[in-house]
Amino acid sequence: MNAAIIFGLLLALMLTGMPISISLGLTVLTFILTMTEVPLQSVALKLFTGIEKWEIMSIPFFILAGNFLTHGGVARRMINFATSLVGHFHGGLALASILACAMFALVCGSSVATVVAIGSIVLPAMVAHGYPMRFGAGVIITAGSLGILMLPSIPKVIYAISTGTSIGALFVAGLLPGTLLTFMLCTVTWYIARKNNYPRMTRANWLQRLQFFRKSVWGLMLVVIIVGGIYSGIFTATEAAAMAAMYAFFVAIFVYRDLRLKDVPKVLLDSANMSAMLLYIIANAVLFSFVLANENLPHRLAEWMLSMNLGQTGFLLVVNLILLAAGNFMDPSSIILIMAPIFFPAAVQLGVNPVHFGILIDVNMEVGLCHPPVGLNLYVASGISKLGITDLTKAVLPWLVTMLVFLVIVTYWPWLTLVVPRALGMM
Amino acid sequence: MKVLDHLEEWLISVLMAGATLIIFFAVIHRALASSRLSGVQDWALQLNFSWAQELCIIMFVWMCKFGAAYGVRTGIHVGVDVVVNRLDPRMRVRVILFGLLAGALFTGAVGALGGSFVWDNGAHYAFLKLFHMDLGPVYEGPTTPDLEWPTWIVYSAIPLGSSLMCLRFLQVAWAYWKTGELPRHDPTHVEGVQDDAPMIGETVAEAERLEKGEMPPAAPSDGRSRR
Repeated sequence: MNAAIIFGLLLALMLTGMPISISLGLTVLTFILTMTEVPLQSVALKLFTGIEKWEIMSIPFFILAGNFLTHGGVARRMINFATSLVGHFHGGLALASILACAMFALVCGSSVATVVAIGSIVLPAMVAHGYPMRFGAGVIITAGSLGILMLPSIPKVIYAISTGTSIGALFVAGLLPGTLLTFMLCTVTWYIARKNNYPRMTRANWLQRLQFFRKSVWGLMLVVIIVGGIYSGIFTATEAAAMAAMYAFFVAIFVYRDLRLKDVPKVLLDSANMSAMLLYIIANAVLFSFVLANENLPHRLAEWMLSMNLGQTGFLLVVNLILLAAGNFMDPSSIILIMAPIFFPAAVQLGVNPVHFGILIDVNMEVGLCHPPVGLNLYVASGISKLGITDLTKAVLPWLVTMLVFLVIVTYWPWLTLVVPRALGMM
Repeated sequence: MKVLDHLEEWLISVLMAGATLIIFFAVIHRALASSRLSGVQDWALQLNFSWAQELCIIMFVWMCKFGAAYGVRTGIHVGVDVVVNRLDPRMRVRVILFGLLAGALFTGAVGALGGSFVWDNGAHYAFLKLFHMDLGPVYEGPTTPDLEWPTWIVYSAIPLGSSLMCLRFLQVAWAYWKTGELPRHDPTHVEGVQDDAPMIGETVAEAERLEKGEMPPAAPSDGRSRR
């Protein structure tokens, strides 16, 4: 009964369009005030202590690093390098932009930042080369979602926090699936480009490739810092994020010199704004899951789900469907914060590996980012390309279907996600 | 009001930069302290950076509380607007106003609760002591583990930040009532990308050079500063 009231109230408040953080907080406040003996002061305190965790602090650092990378000319050099590698195939620039997204995703933890960084450069270039804008936008929207699958990723950090899974293992677990998705998106793109005879470029020779690689290597070095640092135990994930932010700042200002010192306060303010919003949702979601736990809800829901005898296969299917549906209403961080603690106990009891489950949720979020009504990648691409959302929704279809196929593969082939973290001894 | 706006922006930017620098130096320090270079190691061992983690957390929580208030002003707090957008205009105004006022209610309540918590856990004691008054049975309040700062100062981010946020919600609600406009955070506008026409040109130019099989000029694009 209490469960129905909690979720009913939350849903009603959310549908009024108020910020998700506020609806979570108000639900908790109402519930504690009317139905429990918990002292109200603890609510206020919990808003502070809820985010007093060292792991959570990696989120602002990753956002800051991402912003420095976006403004700092790293993306442009990665695009040049990628173009020299695959530009000579059918739809060369499109393939290059997917590859560049994958490279950028290796060092950046946000898919919106990836779309902005790569899309704003590559889309005009593609149009100049005679590609239809819709084709380019479709490619960028889906390839940009690699941003949260490859190595560092803010949704992964949030999942790790709300379920107590290892951040390092989640980071490297995305590597192989990310590579597979890159390959699948490239294949679809190549097929469409060949059918429509989109332009190709002349093949670059190895010397040129080496030169472009040398220029982009400053950005790619971040992979070594993040993975090497966490894997070797030199830093924790949060410290790696802080180092990444400092390194990205250094590269943007002193090496590439694409960012001026006087732009730095603006980047800091933007990053602080974005991080504060995320931390505020997290604080309220922690409060919410505290109430849920107080009512023993996750455990009871787990038992209820187990009693339906779905088995692992059926359970994962149901989780996927619910998450895809939720992707129509909320942004990834809120979905993970609300849903992960609910599904996690049942998943563990059914023998789903926590890291695999995290990547599965992550891929679901990627799909949600690429379709309306709340797919942020779509809106960002619409801002860059000046195409309407309806147009883009149609444009993105071939790649969106590819992503759904990819989701099925990831869901039912755990080896793909687990082999790398296991090989590195991270789990 | 302008002063408050600037103070808020300045505070969260400084906290962001400060926390990054602190962790950066703490990591460097740890690397030096474990290095084999005798002089460097001795020097590094004299410094104590064990407080860095705690300070970083405190700074980010403060940044979160005040940044959330700034976020109300910039409209970055997103909600589920699928239903609201389908309502007829008059109803819509009411629902949105309800949402904003609910925000003010929640943040106001948290501000008040946080305030009373801070008062009971040290602020009261500190004030009495400051004015040399009778301390009586008033609780001195705990301190943080590493920095040994009184927790009431640290926790005062809640009442201060939340009250500011409440104020921002009321401001936005008032402006919406008057003008019908809401602040909207536009993720598609990213500073430094829109005015980047030359960069895009360069990519195309470089791609075209590649097409003709020419060698790309190495120097200019490397050392180039943006105009």
